[in-house]
Amino acid sequence: MKKIKLFFTALVLVLSAGVLSAQSFTVTGNVSDASNGEPIPGATIQVKENASAYALSSVSGNYRINATSDGVLIVSCLGYEALEVSIGGRSLINIQLKPESQKLGDVIVVAYGTVRREAATGSVTSMKADQLVESPATSIDKMLSGKIAGVQMSSYSGQPGSTTTIRVRGTSSINAGNEPLWVVDGIPIIADDNRSYSNYGVGGGTNTAFLNPNDIESITVLKDAAAASVYGSRAANGVILVTTKSGKAGQAKFTAQAKFGAQQLANDNHFRPLTGEELINYWRDSARNAGANPDDPTSAYYVPYSLLQNGSHNWYQDLTKIGTLQEYEINATGGNDRGSYYSSLSYHKNDGVYNANSYSRFSARVNADYKLTKKLTSGARVNVSYNESSSTIMGNSYYLNPAQAMFALLPWTPIKDADGNFTFPTENGGENPLAHALYDENTDKEYRFNGTMFLEWKPIPKLTLKTTNSAEMSVVDSRSYSNPLADQTGESGLDTYTSKERRLTTSNTANYLDQFGNHNVRLLIGQEAMVDTYDYVGGDSPHVDPAIPYPTTSTQAEDQVGYGFSEYSLLSFFGVADYNFDNKYFLSASVRADGSSLFGASNRWGVFWSVSGSWNIEKEKFMAATSSWLSQLKLRASYGVNGNNNISPYRAYGVYSTVQYNNVNGMLPSRPDNPKLSWEKNKTWNVGLDFGFLDDRISGSIDFYNRLTTDMLLSKSVPYTTGFGSNFMNVGSLRNRGVEFSLDATILRKSDWIWTAGFNIAWNRSKVLDLAGSGYLTTVDSRTRGSAERSTPVRIVEGMSLYNFYLREYAGVNPSNGEGLFVAEDGTLTSDRTKGRYIYAGSPEPLCTGGFNTQVAWKGLSLSAYFEYVYGNKVLSNNWYFSDGEDTLVGNSTANSLNYWKKPGDTGVTPKPIAGGSNVWYTGYSTRFLEDGSYLRIRDITLAYALPEKVVKSIKLSGLKFYISALNPYTFHHVNALDPELGPLGYSYGGNHSMVKSLIGGVEISF
Amino acid sequence: MKRVITYIFIGLAALSLSGCKDFLEKGPKLSQSSELTLSTYSGLDKVTQGVYAYFGSLGWYGGERVLESEMRSGNGMKNADHTSNRYNTEMNWNYLPESTSSMWALGYEAIAACNNVIDNLEGKDVGDVTVQDLNNLKAECLFIRAFCHFDMVTLFALPYTYVKANEKTLNEKQKLGIPYVIHTDPAGTPARDPVLEVYPKVVEDLLAAEEAIDPSYARSGVADKKAVVTLEAIQALLSRVYLYMGEWQKAADYATKVIDSGKFELYTVENYEKVWNQNTGGSEVIFENYIDLGNYSNENPMYMCYPDGAYGDCICSAELYNSYADGDIRKKLYCQDKNETDGLWWTLKYKGKGLGNPDANNTVILRLSEMYLNRAEAIVNGASIPGTTAVKDLNEVITNRGLAGLNSVGMDAIKSERRKELAWEGHYFFDKARWGESVVRDLCYGMDPRYQNINFPDYRWALPIPKRELEVNANLKQNDGYKE
Repeated sequence: MKKIKLFFTALVLVLSAGVLSAQSFTVTGNVSDASNGEPIPGATIQVKENASAYALSSVSGNYRINATSDGVLIVSCLGYEALEVSIGGRSLINIQLKPESQKLGDVIVVAYGTVRREAATGSVTSMKADQLVESPATSIDKMLSGKIAGVQMSSYSGQPGSTTTIRVRGTSSINAGNEPLWVVDGIPIIADDNRSYSNYGVGGGTNTAFLNPNDIESITVLKDAAAASVYGSRAANGVILVTTKSGKAGQAKFTAQAKFGAQQLANDNHFRPLTGEELINYWRDSARNAGANPDDPTSAYYVPYSLLQNGSHNWYQDLTKIGTLQEYEINATGGNDRGSYYSSLSYHKNDGVYNANSYSRFSARVNADYKLTKKLTSGARVNVSYNESSSTIMGNSYYLNPAQAMFALLPWTPIKDADGNFTFPTENGGENPLAHALYDENTDKEYRFNGTMFLEWKPIPKLTLKTTNSAEMSVVDSRSYSNPLADQTGESGLDTYTSKERRLTTSNTANYLDQFGNHNVRLLIGQEAMVDTYDYVGGDSPHVDPAIPYPTTSTQAEDQVGYGFSEYSLLSFFGVADYNFDNKYFLSASVRADGSSLFGASNRWGVFWSVSGSWNIEKEKFMAATSSWLSQLKLRASYGVNGNNNISPYRAYGVYSTVQYNNVNGMLPSRPDNPKLSWEKNKTWNVGLDFGFLDDRISGSIDFYNRLTTDMLLSKSVPYTTGFGSNFMNVGSLRNRGVEFSLDATILRKSDWIWTAGFNIAWNRSKVLDLAGSGYLTTVDSRTRGSAERSTPVRIVEGMSLYNFYLREYAGVNPSNGEGLFVAEDGTLTSDRTKGRYIYAGSPEPLCTGGFNTQVAWKGLSLSAYFEYVYGNKVLSNNWYFSDGEDTLVGNSTANSLNYWKKPGDTGVTPKPIAGGSNVWYTGYSTRFLEDGSYLRIRDITLAYALPEKVVKSIKLSGLKFYISALNPYTFHHVNALDPELGPLGYSYGGNHSMVKSLIGGVEISF
Repeated sequence: MKRVITYIFIGLAALSLSGCKDFLEKGPKLSQSSELTLSTYSGLDKVTQGVYAYFGSLGWYGGERVLESEMRSGNGMKNADHTSNRYNTEMNWNYLPESTSSMWALGYEAIAACNNVIDNLEGKDVGDVTVQDLNNLKAECLFIRAFCHFDMVTLFALPYTYVKANEKTLNEKQKLGIPYVIHTDPAGTPARDPVLEVYPKVVEDLLAAEEAIDPSYARSGVADKKAVVTLEAIQALLSRVYLYMGEWQKAADYATKVIDSGKFELYTVENYEKVWNQNTGGSEVIFENYIDLGNYSNENPMYMCYPDGAYGDCICSAELYNSYADGDIRKKLYCQDKNETDGLWWTLKYKGKGLGNPDANNTVILRLSEMYLNRAEAIVNGASIPGTTAVKDLNEVITNRGLAGLNSVGMDAIKSERRKELAWEGHYFFDKARWGESVVRDLCYGMDPRYQNINFPDYRWALPIPKRELEVNANLKQNDGYKE
């Protein structure tokens, strides 16, 4: 077929050449960059009269093409303005291409296509790979932290490979999910965390750790309805579009890189447990305060100094270590006039700061595009990865969790006894966290496959038909083994688990672009279908033989098998219409109909839509006077409705489940039918202004938005006479509104120097408008992998902001006697904690969040720094609460407890400790433990040096770069915890794995 | 080429448009949808089997139905070794709308499950399934529906006999019963039916069940054949309901039907001590629940009423223990704590089946002695049954307990024997309620002196309706005396 086509093309060429009787001859020359004279490899040289005659420029920019002497050449290259050159009989034509001006050429990826930045009508933030910094982040979500106004990346865990909680413009839902939709190369991917036993205490959030950050070309965040509504029922929490790198035409180019790093817990306020001596003195005072003599061996509170006779040690140091990080990658890209490819292979391994915590990823990607015919292009995006994560038990666990136990274990309790066996410290429930970390296993091995193929057909130049089809697979093998060596009672246990999630997606679009006069039109219609199935099979095998710790050695009577299955599907039809007049007035509308199996039969289809417009004011004639300094002034406005379908399957179905009674299986209703169950709806308006001064050396934007969530999915109480106590219904509403502002400036731009800086800030306010009759809802900590869900002191209250701490009101210490005081119901002070009144004491939602950054480059040397801040949120740190929360002389306390009342008149202190546990000022949550969670974090400082080209060329390379990065080097905060970042609820039950700081060095070689 | 591609695109579009509907139908596979469950006989049969499980619930005969009665009536008490607060609310009668009996929730859940079966039986007599098979399911569900309503109306409303006798003087709220739900409406907010209408509806359901059931039918495959609905179980419950209504002749008639069925035998002095803790019910048992380690709860009567290795919070009051004469075999059904010398006594009716630790015990719900006692009481109140008398019936019971027969019988003797025989089986509170007798007790640990004695009448003889129900059903009214 191809040969036949070539033959005919050649024939036509020969014939037309004959007819035109023009001389056919060869043109040669060089293509270079007009701005610096550097040669441009891979530029396409085309004969205008004959589209099938192509040539590409070589590495040194040279080209050779057969053309006609009176023909015209079209020269183009990505990043440069295309140029038409009349041959005019010349056989040597040197061509200089002008780089595309930043403003015009800035094309960003949006829903189902790309758009020039100036044409965007919605609230969209896009970042190119180079803006994402070569920071050695494990996953791409971590790279975005603090960089986009209104997008909060809330890491709850510093554990290697952990998930991230992402909130775009606040939290919009109580029971449906709040994570944005992730779309990679046009396909919504599985971004849930399917791991079972590792990643303890994180639970939920977005898992994109399986993607190699270096494969990313650009990331676009769609924030408002105009930008996101075409994703319909999945768009309510924003959409993050990821585009991976595609091949560049030209000779094969290889890039290899290696990174090494070390990390430790971020603990910039030196939060620590008490030393042995401090603790002895604290306990002795505590005993004296109880009227006991700490030196009396018959006293219940006998605390002799001899406890220290065998020395003491610091469990904080013994349970943590220096973590290591390494990453190796090689990628290759290249292509010719017909096809191009990008492929990469990478290995990443991070050994954490707690024993047994590690994450490793092996990933391979091939992105290939091929022009089958002039009108037909095909391509594939394939990513395969293997991720292994393991962890010791953390999260809500208490005794086994090193992050919690290190503040409870006594400094004089040895790690191992005289015989070298691990101790089982009674002050810590008989558990030794180090023994568990070293002997137990909690691992997940995840195999990920994402394969996408597309076929694009342009029957006429203005119309593009495209079909994209994708298969995605996540298979996780999980294993949790309790080794009897780590258990006081010598019990062993094993849980094994295999889960599979499979998602098939087809996305088919027709895109029509036209221009007549000053009118520009784009029409897109599309159809999508997706089916996702998830199943798992797992076994609980108690008492396995430690010599053969596999299910085969457990008894059949004790073995228990678990199985789960769920499936859901989505079918969609959508359309987008864009119109602009003279690149000044832009109008856009989108509509999408989604049918989902998740919802009730009578509400299965939903229609979502948006309208938006923008006005490039600076292009108006009346703005001519300001054009010398005002380079951009664009007003945007949008309104739209989209949905949140983020609920588990089958909630619309009434079901019967099995009940065993009298040795027979029967069935009982377990959930009512709910044929009306439907989407949560988000109605969002957005008004924004983009501006640029001095040829965009200073540019920025400001956005105002209002996001109303209605038909919120809540469990509503119904009369028991219906057979059920509650039903999951579309009731309730919630509002988020806010302002976002960002500013970027090129402060200095000289030939060798460039200095840029950026700043962003976002204010978001939430308000619960309707809870359908419940005055308040309690929240549970969903980050409970490995342990039961626990209720938190955070409530959702009608008429207030979404999350509120509900705590007893603490009123400080009575300076005269050192007792803790609480405010009673009637406003008087009481030392009886149980009489303290409950108040709404503040919200874990920040008043504002944002970041700022700066980069300085001089020749090959560059220095960049990124900062991130959160302001005005409250947090409740449990490390403090749990460890200092008792005076029973059992466990250790944090250094914070040293500042206790010692003599009348002491103020600004904590209550005096009294041995015997009668000291009720400590136990139970109160505002005493609530703190200002504001922080300013230096996210990343990177110093890089790229060797000058001459040097590089002399050693036969095309690039050589070294860099060194400090991640999270310092955080300014006032929280009594290792680190202030505690997730959206501002609360952790046990000790969470707090953030780490890393120092990483790397080298990148291109050839 | 172009044509092929065009066809491919058109084909794709057509494919996606067709099969649209099926593509979006993704029903649950691991649990059965309501629609599917109720569409076949086997589904309906399984639901009927499932509803029995409610008899094992802690909120009903798995515990509270029995202990609410014993702790409120003066049969039970607490002491300082058992400071858990468990069953203190019951003992002190201080139920609140926020914390009242959980029977309301589980009762209506069970009723809804029964209604789903009864409403879907039509036309399921296909294949091997006969109309009688369907009628048997119907009878079982009618029995359970009636039983739930009956046990709720005796709990949440004032006694029928009292309301009937004082119909003119009581206010409307005092005469309210409970909603009698015979069709479950997912959007329904039913109001409370009057007490005087609820009892006849219970009778109506039971009579329909009696008519529907095959006299020889008993659910097959179960471990305990005494824990399923039979003709005699329906008749025994009818005898009790009529007794509670003061319909003496009918109470006596239905007791007679059960007694004359010949399927049950009174316990004797020889076996009385051994029959209570068997895996399946003894010769007297007409209907019971079946508790094993699968549905055991650690607040069940076994755990609450037995001191060794269990909580043992609910102790026999001295008044009850001392009411047993020395030769009375029933006195031997009490034990003391092996490790204590506090002189306290616990019932042995829930000693456990010997399944291990924890242990479990069935609760007897209907048995033959009750039938004799029902009939004796009915006859004393004017019923007549040829061939028997109140004296004869009462003596039938007490001579099998090691006591000498009486020569004459009045209400006092009936009341005393009924208390002693049916103690710890959930009767005494409800008997006192229908007799209109005040509760007069000895003060014990954990008992609020203000609530030591409870007069009859008093608003507390009806429990408060749960607050959450009032909040979601505007048609419900709270009982007189409680906060709205």
